[in-house]
Amino acid sequence: MSGLVWGVVWGLAAGVLIAIAALIGVWWERKFSGAIQMRIGPQELGPAGLLQTLADTVKLVLKEDIIPGRADVTVFRIAPLIVFAPIAMSLVVVPYAAGFAPLDTSVGILFFMAVPAVSVIGVMLAGWSSRNTYASIGGVRAAAQMISYELPRTLSVLPFVLLAGSMRPLDIVAAWQWWWVPLLAIGFVVYLISSVAELNRGPFDLPEAESELVAGYFADYSGIRWAIFMMAEYGGLLAAAVFGAALFFGPFSLLPGAAGVVLFVILSAVLATVMMWAKWTFPRMRPDQLMGVAWKVLTPMALVQLVLVGAVVPWL
Amino acid sequence: MALGRHDTSRDANGNGNGNGDGTRHHEVGAPDRTPEAVPVTVNVTDDFPGGVAGFFERWRSLLVGFGITGRRALGPTTTLRYPHERVVLSPRWRGALRLRGILGRDDIPILRDAPTAYNDLIDSTYRADRLPPCVGNCPANVDARGQGYFLGEDKAVEAYELVRERNILPGVLGRICHHPCETACRRNYYDEPIAIRPLHRHAFEEYAKVAEEHLKPFEVTRDERVAIIGSGPSGLAAAFDLMSLGYHVTAYEKEKKPGGALYSGVPAYRLPRDVLHTEIDYLVKMGLELKLGVEVGHDVPIDYLIGEYDAVIIAAGLQDSRILPVPGHDAEGVKGALPFLRAANWKGDAGVKGKKVLVIGGGNVAVDVARCALRTGATEVRLSCLEASDEMPCHPWEIEEALDEGVIAMCSFGPEEVLTTEDNRVRGMRMRECLAVFDAAGRFAPVFGDEYLEIETDVVVFSIGQAPDLAHVVAGSDLSLTERGLLPVDGTLFTTHHPGVFACGEVVTGPGSAIASIATGHETAISVHRYLRGEHLAADRVPRPVPIYAKYQKATLEGVEKSRLRVNMPMAPPEARANDFRPVELGLTHMEALNEAARCLRCQSEVCVGCTFCARTCPDYAIEVERTDDPGERHVTHYDLDLTKCCFCGLCAEQCPTDALVHTGQYELTFFHRGPTIFAREEMLRDGGGTRATGCDAVRAADTEAGR
Amino acid sequence: MPLDVESREAVETAEGEVVDELVVNVGPSHPSTHGVCRVIIHLDGEIVTRAEPVIGYLHRGIEKMAENRTYLQVVPLTDRLDYVGSMYSNWAYCRSVERLADIPVPERAEYLRVIVCELQRIASHMMAIGSNGADTGALTLFVYAFDQREHVVELFEELCGQRLTYNYVRPGGVSHDMPEGWADDVRAFTAAHRSALAEMDKLFFGNVITRGRLKGIGVLSADDAVAWGASGPVARGSGVNWDLRKHDPYSVYPRFDFDIPTGTDGDCYDRARVRLYECYESCRIIEQALAQMQPGPHRTEGLPRLIAPPPGDAYDHIESARGALGVYLVSDGSTRPYRMKVRSPAFCNLALLPTLAEGHMLSDLVAILGSLDPVFGEVDR
Repeated sequence: MSGLVWGVVWGLAAGVLIAIAALIGVWWERKFSGAIQMRIGPQELGPAGLLQTLADTVKLVLKEDIIPGRADVTVFRIAPLIVFAPIAMSLVVVPYAAGFAPLDTSVGILFFMAVPAVSVIGVMLAGWSSRNTYASIGGVRAAAQMISYELPRTLSVLPFVLLAGSMRPLDIVAAWQWWWVPLLAIGFVVYLISSVAELNRGPFDLPEAESELVAGYFADYSGIRWAIFMMAEYGGLLAAAVFGAALFFGPFSLLPGAAGVVLFVILSAVLATVMMWAKWTFPRMRPDQLMGVAWKVLTPMALVQLVLVGAVVPWL
Repeated sequence: MALGRHDTSRDANGNGNGNGDGTRHHEVGAPDRTPEAVPVTVNVTDDFPGGVAGFFERWRSLLVGFGITGRRALGPTTTLRYPHERVVLSPRWRGALRLRGILGRDDIPILRDAPTAYNDLIDSTYRADRLPPCVGNCPANVDARGQGYFLGEDKAVEAYELVRERNILPGVLGRICHHPCETACRRNYYDEPIAIRPLHRHAFEEYAKVAEEHLKPFEVTRDERVAIIGSGPSGLAAAFDLMSLGYHVTAYEKEKKPGGALYSGVPAYRLPRDVLHTEIDYLVKMGLELKLGVEVGHDVPIDYLIGEYDAVIIAAGLQDSRILPVPGHDAEGVKGALPFLRAANWKGDAGVKGKKVLVIGGGNVAVDVARCALRTGATEVRLSCLEASDEMPCHPWEIEEALDEGVIAMCSFGPEEVLTTEDNRVRGMRMRECLAVFDAAGRFAPVFGDEYLEIETDVVVFSIGQAPDLAHVVAGSDLSLTERGLLPVDGTLFTTHHPGVFACGEVVTGPGSAIASIATGHETAISVHRYLRGEHLAADRVPRPVPIYAKYQKATLEGVEKSRLRVNMPMAPPEARANDFRPVELGLTHMEALNEAARCLRCQSEVCVGCTFCARTCPDYAIEVERTDDPGERHVTHYDLDLTKCCFCGLCAEQCPTDALVHTGQYELTFFHRGPTIFAREEMLRDGGGTRATGCDAVRAADTEAGR
Repeated sequence: MPLDVESREAVETAEGEVVDELVVNVGPSHPSTHGVCRVIIHLDGEIVTRAEPVIGYLHRGIEKMAENRTYLQVVPLTDRLDYVGSMYSNWAYCRSVERLADIPVPERAEYLRVIVCELQRIASHMMAIGSNGADTGALTLFVYAFDQREHVVELFEELCGQRLTYNYVRPGGVSHDMPEGWADDVRAFTAAHRSALAEMDKLFFGNVITRGRLKGIGVLSADDAVAWGASGPVARGSGVNWDLRKHDPYSVYPRFDFDIPTGTDGDCYDRARVRLYECYESCRIIEQALAQMQPGPHRTEGLPRLIAPPPGDAYDHIESARGALGVYLVSDGSTRPYRMKVRSPAFCNLALLPTLAEGHMLSDLVAILGSLDPVFGEVDR
């Protein structure tokens, strides 16, 4: 019973966290892409336009919730939630401080990798239920892409299990050593790239390719349901950034106590920024190239990393 | 590389050329448009190397991308400045349009000032781009625009007095002027020029009816007295200016009637004598002392004048005709143009009744001689000149009228020899073909061909130029003439080398137009005034501005309504007019003159006159203009610029002859101000200055303007 | 439940096999159709089996409208032909009018025309390269390219007061002379533009993803390019060495030293990169023109307001950013053209789309469309 209560509490907390992260993330992405493109970005609402996203949220909430006439209404309505919920759940197992994770489970790594993958069902449903050719193509693309990138992404965090001998994130954080950073460099790159791909963000944003599919699987969504898709995207970005920051860079081991948490936040922000940076620098890939990269480049690289770690582990 | 593709490129090129043949005279650079052989030197194809190097190169390209965007992220914000910095618009920004002034509510500037300040006025107006071309192109800078304005309002007296200030004999010049104003008239660009010269004449005719009420002598406010030798246009112009400056002026004329060349040279069918003498009478009534029949150098020595008066102006004109010294030029029957004209004008008989006349020369005087010869009874009049028919120096309308009357033109022939009978009387003329008159540098250097022609004629009149005859005039003074009989005169100050003695008119300029002589008279008056005031003659003096105006190509009149065309000057029919000295031009009616004056576009006045050329040019039919045209009630009643149709091409403002229509640069007016453009004067006249701001700013500015 | 009954079509192939195809209607309102092009594509999975461009959504009847306007009034209409390169349409039209009515053009006007048209080439190519980037997802390249275009547009605003529809080239010259200091601004721009071009080259054309996306896509052979009447960068990307500035030299172009960049492969990459290199050449031409220019009138003086050419016809063409742009005019001696016909390079180039897109993926279709750089104002007219 207490587990259910805690689940509700942490679920709400994750929702709030994601909302805040989305608010700040959208603002920061606007500012950062603005800087890259020699623009200013939002500036009118609040200091440096900080409240712009809030105003947008209000607008989105107030907008009409348009449902296409021939859509499968039920599926169309719940699809955003199916996308959003698993991503919110994945945040629960992330270690936010030394020795603290909301859900401290022995299969944390597995949980973090497996649960968000459920959102692919939501994406597919969204694309399918819209009864729109663009959305359908986007949904199918998304399914292929997200399932493919599960593999290199999972492979890229397996070395932690080898090194720490545990799938519990708190154990991994506790066991962190500085030389893991150079050792796991390849794995980090694979993790970062496949996380971006998993999130359908540029340069892997094929399912929602603006110039081809207009907006892909959420082409027909508007208002708050569209906002939930956006929140899921930024929630995923947040999850990938905090998880990567906690595991790969061991901020809690480098600095004790609260300073470690501050470093953790900073590192997360940097990782999120790098992922945004890629979106605003590179062109989009083609579906076949995307698959090629997953299977021919990232998976072998992750395996190489695994072999490397496997060669080191016996010497520890 | 694509070098192997030359065949296909030639094919493609051949196809391209096939459509575009035809010569292109004005092509700059490459008249023949010969294809150039172009080797391919820049190949754009590029790829990564293969193998491991390629693998790393590929990864490196990603890092390079990060580097570029990262550097830009740290760099300055340049893409979008608005609204943090307000964007300064180009002064050529088209934007919405507004009017600076409206006919009926805003007056046009009248160019009017004291003779001493007039050049300055014209010059500064020209620099400000506010000078109408008719004024600029007139040697005396007569305000033809002001004349049109007054005449259009049925204020002929004001128009006459305005014109008289610069063109001292409007009635005379209104008949004989060669009207450079009409050549420069901007209306040439649209259809036909304003009939400025006939309007001068009309102004005079209206003024003459009420002259007695308006003629007032100038007040003599200064002690100095000025003598003028000659009563031609230049002398009278100087006299008028000096009288208006308060001097007492005396003009000495050797003939019994005043007018100089206007009296002796211009035939009466062009200038009725009563007109000339009426206008000179006006001058006399304004204070001019005229001494007729007094020949300076003969009756009075010039030294007497120099001693008696504070300044003397020699405006004696050209008295001597040149005769080409060809064999037989001393035969009986060979005449100069001026004696011939004097005889024809004064006596109505030049001794050519029933004879054949050959006029040598292609200038305006030659045409006058030919037409006078017809009127004095010649049976056949030929006009022979060196120039080809399209390069004759006379004005085209003059020769056209002469040809209508029956003059036979023989162009491109030069006189070779006067054929005489045994008793030294003219029996004919031997002519030689002329191939070219001017050399490459534009100097007079005729080239003759081998073709000869003999013409039977009884009288040969040489009209190849005139020369001054000043030997008597200056006799006894320390003024000396050059070997060619010319008086050395400063070309801009009109001073001679004797202090206090000035010269103006054709004595200085050589044969020229009446209005150009008048212009020299005005300049001389300023010199005299400065001399008498003891001022430096040149210091701070603005020279007469001579703007250059492009010659207009003839505009097509297709689709131009009859009511918009230039009034036709009624002419006596050629067969009726060729026999006597009655006027050829019959004059305009009062209504014709009013309509013609209303055609004037009031160029550069920055007042919309409702000419509708903007509406006619607008490709989007966005402009509607209406005006009423009753004298005294002439105003623009409606100006609607529909900004929802406007495409901001700017053609309307470019067409506007008065510069009244300008772009505001108020970008936002385009969107916010549809309503008021249905003619609200405040809105159309609103100052459009400032920068483009937000739409709100434009609206706010409008509000504050309206609230004021 | 089927996806969408109406968008599925059973198609029988040549082998008699019945294939289930998805029909996708791209446009007329779509982010990457560069205006209002509609392409009906048949998809087998992601593979395009048929792409059929449907044009006419921007047809305004400009050629017909021209018959009811005086020769001067047509110039603003030509602004709206190729609205990315208004100067070209202006110039091509004015050349035909000048040929028809035998109107002389002052030399300074010719230089100004060359300068603005080369600047326009830069602006237009920046638009093309930027939308190549946007089509393939590189939004930042789009902004960088538009930044460069903005500089050109600001120069144009300085020059003639407008930013898009310039109405600058007129029969007998150009509407305005250079404002004071403009030449220096242009020189400063070309200097800065070169480094920006190098940056764009590295950011986009050197990128591994771009090369993957554009190389080998939509290959057009040189023979096909000529056979289909392709011109401009599309033909030159295929290695057809043909540029009217060299092969039918007009205006003062023979006085300049410049090269014609060409590609080898004829794929999207070459077509796009030809444009980038043409910008370098345009910079060269502009600098030479500024150096050679002499003071003088910028417009033939004294031309009447209404031009009435003698009866006859005239055709003249120029090299626009999209290829050979020609205007054919027939005069019946009145003040309005009897007939105007525009030979539009964008129209001819767009006709290649079905051939090029077949067998490629949906993502490639937009890249191919972008590399053809159609401007629909000119295609539909």
